[in-house]
Parts: sequence; structure tokens; C-alpha cells
Amino acid sequence: MAGLGAGTAVLALADARFPGGGHVHSGGVEEAVAAGLITGVADLREFLFGRLHAAGRLQAVFAAAAAHAAAGDAGREYWTRLDAELDARTPSCAQRAASRAQGRGTLRAGRAAWSSGALARLAVATPRPHHPVVLGVLAAAAGADPRGAALVAGYLAVSGPSSAAVRLLGLDPLAVNAVVAGLAAELDGVAGDAAAAAALDPADLPAPSAPALDLLAEAHDRHHREKGRLFAS
Amino acid sequence: MPPDSHGRDHGHGHGHRHPVSLDPAAPAEPDPHRGPPLPGRAFRLGIGGPVGSGKTALTAALCRALGRELRLAVVTNDIYTTEDADFLRRTGVLATDRIEAVQTGACPHTAIRDDITANLDAVERLEERHPGVELVIVESGGDNLTAVFSRGLVDSQIFVVDVAGGDKVPRKGGPGVTTADLLVINKVDLAERVGADMRVMVGDAHRMRGDLPVVAQSLVHTPDAPEVAAWVRGRLSARTPAGA
Amino acid sequence: MKAAASLRVELDAHRRRTVIGDLRSASPIRLVPRRGKVAAPGGALTVCLVESAAAPIGGDRLDLHVRVGAGAWLRLVGTGATLALPGHDGDHSRVRVHLRVDPAGTVEYLPEATVIGARADHRAETRLDLAAGARARCRELLVLGRHGELPGRGSSTTHVLRDGAPLLRQRLEVGRPRLAASAGHLAGARVLGSEILVWDRDPAAPSSGDWWSLTPLAHGGSVATSMAGDTATARRRLAEAVGHHPAHRDRSDRPGHG
Repeated sequence: MAGLGAGTAVLALADARFPGGGHVHSGGVEEAVAAGLITGVADLREFLFGRLHAAGRLQAVFAAAAAHAAAGDAGREYWTRLDAELDARTPSCAQRAASRAQGRGTLRAGRAAWSSGALARLAVATPRPHHPVVLGVLAAAAGADPRGAALVAGYLAVSGPSSAAVRLLGLDPLAVNAVVAGLAAELDGVAGDAAAAAALDPADLPAPSAPALDLLAEAHDRHHREKGRLFAS
Repeated sequence: MPPDSHGRDHGHGHGHRHPVSLDPAAPAEPDPHRGPPLPGRAFRLGIGGPVGSGKTALTAALCRALGRELRLAVVTNDIYTTEDADFLRRTGVLATDRIEAVQTGACPHTAIRDDITANLDAVERLEERHPGVELVIVESGGDNLTAVFSRGLVDSQIFVVDVAGGDKVPRKGGPGVTTADLLVINKVDLAERVGADMRVMVGDAHRMRGDLPVVAQSLVHTPDAPEVAAWVRGRLSARTPAGA
Repeated sequence: MKAAASLRVELDAHRRRTVIGDLRSASPIRLVPRRGKVAAPGGALTVCLVESAAAPIGGDRLDLHVRVGAGAWLRLVGTGATLALPGHDGDHSRVRVHLRVDPAGTVEYLPEATVIGARADHRAETRLDLAAGARARCRELLVLGRHGELPGRGSSTTHVLRDGAPLLRQRLEVGRPRLAASAGHLAGARVLGSEILVWDRDPAAPSSGDWWSLTPLAHGGSVATSMAGDTATARRRLAEAVGHHPAHRDRSDRPGHG
């Protein structure tokens, strides 16, 4: 059950203004743009749709599970297991690095606003936690329920990449905002599914995958080394 | 399909975000001068300013001038990440592992002001890798006159403009010119050639900045930026011992 | 149709050769040892997985249990593509493969492609339980539809555990045209290849190229991935990815060819 202040926490965590380091990650958009797979708003819409149902779904699941566990005072052993289970669902090294970079930034920024015992235990178990796990713990600390945490994670999985597309392609920000808004029903479904799975044992959490995102992430990393990239992922 | 992505990969040699080992038994890095350790973390100095104003050249000059007396490290914020870092590596003013490059997601001002996460991560990596580092210079990516560093990222900041950008720049103001702890007017040796009036430029700068200091310099004439280096020494010694 | 086949291999009494301990085919899964029931000393015992061309059909539940004893080496190879077809009542088909490998054992599971035919609803589940020190390579080639046809739907689920700890868990769902076309999902690829490699040393760093990658997993092992519009290209890319694994680069007796 969502508590007092939950709405604000959900809004603040999903806000592009939140200083957790998300703005340097494109979620595969920079690589997809470089490969000619995204050239305009229509391509972006389809890219984000796919991203929401893979990366977004996975992140929503782990944010919801983390929020559920944080509300239930999970111990260090749980956080270590949850971390390993998300690792196992993230075969791409580049995606694991991106998730942990954002997780660490979100932990740093979030602990100043929503400290909690669960956050402290998470930080001890995993000093560089995965992004959705920190989101879930922060959301819970602020009183949000697993569904709220899942909404944040799912939303960030498309909003950050949409902003990257605006910066990289000079797309009309009004049109891009409309694309993100147009995913509302899908996002609701993703968050609902994630909340329904939140109480499962970490081993049994869903493991949705999208090979194209994995390969784009690895290609981004390779091209960054070869010729430079604007975004960290 | 990425048309240019064929070919083999040769492992990743760049500064990936792996956690840094903190082995106390590891040999200390060769350090010609062991000053007294500063309390807490390193002093963080931001160097910002428009594209081409000479931020990287000033950073290199400070490394030359201060590298013997201070344990130094540098974070660069390039558009494509490695250009400025590579320059510093090539000039040999600093060991490669004392330079970290961050990606700014096409928004250099965001990375130093609104969301400083990537830069904080880089500073912390340097501090973990080089315990006892005393000065970390964070060089911003070239940006506009409004781009200043967050006080959450740096303790002090230098804003660099140059005469080739026109002698009107100080008059235009903006937070960089008006609020930076030090304003550096670079490339004064070019003033005549570009038709910049130094008296106007320096006068405007002082007028815009009140009591805040202004240094006009040419790295052609004084490659080690002695006035700026002296100012940095002053900031370091005036630093309150409270640390972080 | 419900069927459960099983296979157990182990080292012989001298602990030199891999031999068959138990082999139970169950139609439509036929297990046929190639070149005898005893491997060369220190080498792999090869068993062919002969699947009926008609299987699996909607409603089928097929299980294959494989156990590789300590120190034994099994190479389980496919002989032809598996074509999943719809049944009469709209029920899904399921093929579940569970491979267990004891300490110092090795399994190579190299089936041929699985083709998800039009209107099929097929679920493939592969579970690999490795003891510490066991080796494995486990390949999958998933083809979305026969040539020129739209695929049905389905999923491929993979779990890899070592010493009880998860190395890889993935579930790929196929069959939604919009997701299949999305550059953020399947990017229009018709063939998806993957090969899990838990084989001595892991690659120190990822390698990648044109729609393939080989990435070390966080807690050991690595996975090669490829995508392409056709099977030959997907195979070639997967081979390129696997070729970057240290076991391939360093050894002359590299893992066998499927």
C-alpha cells in the first residue's frame, strides 16, 4: 500500500532532473542512431516500444521486487542474491556496467533524500548496486509500493533514451514527448506485471531478454573505444 | 546493420567502470615530492569556459607548474571523451592513470552543473586509485558563457575566455564570467592580430566581477601559467582543514 | 504426446573412457550413440539426438534428462532441424531439456535449429546445472518461421547454474510482430543464435562485431550471441563470436563441431 509522500517520490525519481547520472546513458539509442536504425520519431517510437518490453520489463521487475523486499526489511543476504539474479539476466557486460554506474549515482543522490535501513543494508551488500534495485529501495523508503517503483523503472527505461534521441538527432521534443506519453498503457501493463511478481523468490523472477539491445550495448562499447561516443551507453 | 562495425575486437583497453582495487600493499606511485597529506579528500578545481579558449592548455600548464609539489589528477569532459585526455597524455605532463575521461551525453554543462554524477564518479575513481591525491582538476567540455560548475562538484573554479573570442566577451557576462573564483583571459599575445583591446577586456572583466580576480595571460609567453598557479596554491593553503 | 527420454554417461571402471550408463529413448526423441557406446580415452562420447520430423506439435510435452557423471564427456548433437507446428486444439508444445554435469564432467549440447512454424506456440526450456569445475557449451539456433512465412509464437528459456548459483537466466519471447521489428528487441532478425560457454578460462573482456558478441557473464561463463536475417549468416556470426573464446584460441583440440 502506497504511503504518504509516495507520489512525490515516484515523480522525483522519474524526473529527468534527478541527479543520478542518467543523462549520460542513451540505452542503445546512440548506437542505433549510428547504425541507421533510428532516423526519426517513427523509428524511435518502435525502438522504445521494444526497449520497454525487454529492458524496461526487466528493470520494472527488479525495482518492484526491491521495493517489496525493502518494505519487508530484507537482510543483506537477500540483496546479494537479488544482485546476482539481475547479473544473470544481464548477459551484456556493457549493460551491467551501465546499470551499476546509474545505480551508484542513484544511490549517492537518493541517500541524501530518502535514507532508510534497507538502503544502508543494500549499500553494504552491493556498494555499486544495479539501478532498478536502488530505485525500488528508494521508492519504498519514500512510501511507494512495488507498482510505483516498477513504474519509475519502466518509465526511465524509455524516457532517458528518448531524451538522448532528441539530443542526437535534433528531433522535435514535442513529438518525442508525445511518443513517450503514448506508451502509457504499455507501461501500465509492464508495471502491473512487475508488481504481481514482486514477492517471488529472486530465482523465480521473470527474465525477459532482447538480443538486439544486448548487441547494441556491446557495439556501443566497442565503438566508444574505437572512435568515441557521446554517451556512456 | 551497422555498416562500419565489421572486423575483430581486441579487448577493451579503455577506462571501463570497473571498481578500483585498493590494495594497501601495492607499491606507492613514484612521487617526487611528498607534501603533508591534506585532511579528507582532494581539493577539486574546476576549469570551464567556451570551446577553444585554452582550457586544456591551461590544465597542462598547471600540471607542469604544480606537478612537482602536489599529487595531481585530472578529469576531462570531452564531446567524444578522449581528445583532451589524449592531449594531456601526449604532452606527458601527467601519468596516464591520473587522467579520467567522462562522457557527457552531448550535454557538457549538465555534467558539471545539473547532474554531476559522472564527474563525481571519475573524481572518486582517481581518489581511490591514488590515495593521498591533493588536487583534482576537472576540466569541463567547451560550452557557453552560462556553464558553471556545481559547488557540489568543485571547491573552486576558473573560467577561461580568450581574446580571439572577441573583446566583448567579458562584457556579455554570464555566470562563468561574473561568478567564477578566477577569470582567466587567455591568448593575450593574439590581441593585436584579432583586434582585441586588452584594456577594454580587462576593464570590463573587473567591472563585471567586482572584487573577484582576473588574470590575463599568454601561454606562449609564460608556458607554465605562473599567475594562475600561484592563485591555485593560495586556494589550497587557504582551504579549511575540515575537508570533505 | 508426452515423452521423457533420458541419458546418463559416466566414466568407466578405469576412469579413462566415457561410457553410457543409461539410455532411454522415448518417441519422438531418439538417442543414438555415434561410433559405438564407448568414447576414446579422455575424449567425448557422441550421441545423436534424432528427432522425428513431425515433432513437436501443439499439445506435445517432451522432456530430455541428461546426466554427465564426474569426469565424463558427452557431446550431444542434433541431426536435423526441429520444426514446431501448431496442434489441433491450440495448445502449446513444450520441449524441456535438463542437463546435469557432475564435477570435472563436460557436456556439449549442440542441437540443430529450432524453427517456429506458422501458428505454432512453442516453448523451449533448457536448464543446465553444473557442478563446480564442470564444463559446458550449449548452443541454440532459433528460426522464426520457415522461409517466407510469419512465425507463430513461443519462448525460449535458459537457466544456467553452477554450484547452485545463477550464471545466466534468459527468456526470449517471440511472436509479437511489433517487437520482432523493433530495433530495441529483435531488430527484424529472423534467426537468433546463442552459445553458452562455461569452459575452463572465461574471456577476459567482451568481443563484438557486426551483430554478434561474446561476453563474459558476471559470475563465470560466457555467452556468444548472434542475429541475422538467415540461418547461414547467424551461424557464421555465432562461430565468429565463439572463435574469440580462449578455449578456441588456445587449444588445438578445441570443442567439437556440431
